[in-house]
Amino acid sequence: MKILVVLRMIPDSAGELELTSDGRGIDREWLDFQLNDFDDHALEEAILLKEASGATVVAVAIGEGSNRVLQMAVARGADEAIALDAQADGMIDSRAIAGSIVALARSKAADLVLCGVQSTEDLFGQLVPYAGALLGWPHVSGSSRLGIEGSALRVTQERGGGIAATYEIALPAVIGVQTASKAPRYVSGSKLREASKTTIGKARFEPAGFERSAEIVALRLPGQRGTGEHLGDNPENVAERLAGILAAKGFAGV
Amino acid sequence: MRIIACTERSFGKLEPFSLEMITAARAAGATGDEVVAFFAGQDPEPAVANLGAADRLVAASAGNSELIAAESYARLLKDVVAAEEPGLVLVPYSANGLDVAADLAARTGWPLVSYVNEVRRDGDRLTVIAQVYGGKILAECNVPLPAILMVNPGAFAEAERRTVDPSKLQHSDARAVVAEGRVRLVGVDVPNYDSVDLTTAERIVCVGRGIGDEASIDIARGLADILGAEIAGSRPVVDSGWLPKVRQVGKSGQKVKPKLYLALGVSGAPEHLEGMSKSDLIIAVNTDPKAPIFNVAHFGATCDLFDLVANLSERLQAASDR
Repeated sequence: MKILVVLRMIPDSAGELELTSDGRGIDREWLDFQLNDFDDHALEEAILLKEASGATVVAVAIGEGSNRVLQMAVARGADEAIALDAQADGMIDSRAIAGSIVALARSKAADLVLCGVQSTEDLFGQLVPYAGALLGWPHVSGSSRLGIEGSALRVTQERGGGIAATYEIALPAVIGVQTASKAPRYVSGSKLREASKTTIGKARFEPAGFERSAEIVALRLPGQRGTGEHLGDNPENVAERLAGILAAKGFAGV
Repeated sequence: MRIIACTERSFGKLEPFSLEMITAARAAGATGDEVVAFFAGQDPEPAVANLGAADRLVAASAGNSELIAAESYARLLKDVVAAEEPGLVLVPYSANGLDVAADLAARTGWPLVSYVNEVRRDGDRLTVIAQVYGGKILAECNVPLPAILMVNPGAFAEAERRTVDPSKLQHSDARAVVAEGRVRLVGVDVPNYDSVDLTTAERIVCVGRGIGDEASIDIARGLADILGAEIAGSRPVVDSGWLPKVRQVGKSGQKVKPKLYLALGVSGAPEHLEGMSKSDLIIAVNTDPKAPIFNVAHFGATCDLFDLVANLSERLQAASDR
């Protein structure tokens, strides 16, 4: 079995985002980019499947810092690393990159495409259903467990409210991972150093054949909608105020 | 123009966001537009009993299974879209909707905007406001029609519940389509809430990614014990295995409405807010002043959460010892 796993580099969600002067994009110059958290889980699930069923894992990365994350993927157990030139200096638009992922799934003869269920930049739709529909393969988003049973894939999907549905799917398929069966592993420095010698392949952008989606007119920071009171940043003052608030509302003391 | 509003049921009940899709459709519509509710799943009775605010209901019943696979839902929707030729399709941002919206976009080539909070119609133009970067940025988009929108649950009010007039109901048997599906449902797990049920808890202390590591959860747990609160976690915390799934608050966890919700190191992604924003009293502590959790918090602080928890625990303990 061959698994293609997609790794998208996105702006650090904990970092501060500033808008460009035309107000249509975010200023990317000083941003830290990190692997999309859900894609990290997709990578882990791919490696877990490899360990359980002997799959080959091809990792494809998109965006700033791709080489670094591909080395990490190889250190964790990926067999092949490819950097995709998405021809984008702004958001990684999943609608736009779907064509490239489909082309790679075909050229690598993948049986299973895994990627994170979402990214914070998929304003125009999510990669898994786009790629699944274009390939004509079944797709399921929001998995929390994957396993191979004979020639079929068994997928557990989060349905909300803690309810989980389990499906059986004949391969090939595209799965959007929410949570890997086990938390993503850490890799040692020595494995990372070893992986830094990996040859990283390159893949070109392939159009998906869609019209563009909607046009972004303007981005803005949401105003503080709440009427909440700011208690400041001094822990002692905050604790004193909160102790008072909790007592006044009857929460202090069990 | 015709607008299709997608609806769902879960375990015998209509998902409340189904009624929100009707309201969103009315907001996107102009005078004379027709709103058609689409339902696919087990027995459409809850849809028939509640979706009368739509002009019509097109319902496909999919047999005995409690859940319909998104693959089958998407195929049935595509057939309805081909027959009805709508100018706009609204899909809820749900587990099912995540697979349905972009699937339809790929098969029709239509534009799609996800995570939509607001819609505005101006003649032939549709403008939407959508969330990106975990709610830290809002994107205003011009959407050429026909188009598909994936709408955030909670962004629109529920339409009035009333029965669909029988003359406005078009009902079909979809079991053959479901039987052809390649995604076969083999089981549904409902979690065991014997040990803890956050939905009935009156006080919750929720830890987010800012808690840092598993060992630090004990510090928050200590405060929760003093407050008589249940400990809960956001998705990253549960995904890391630091708390069990039954203690997860948010879209894929529990939707809670306690009297007290204390959020420690929770950034407040839209998926988290969906699960707790209706709590009576929300107190949030996060070092990032732009964290979206502050948009719903009644009291917010940007201090170090460990210093705060230590100090607050001490004060509350001393007060209760007196």
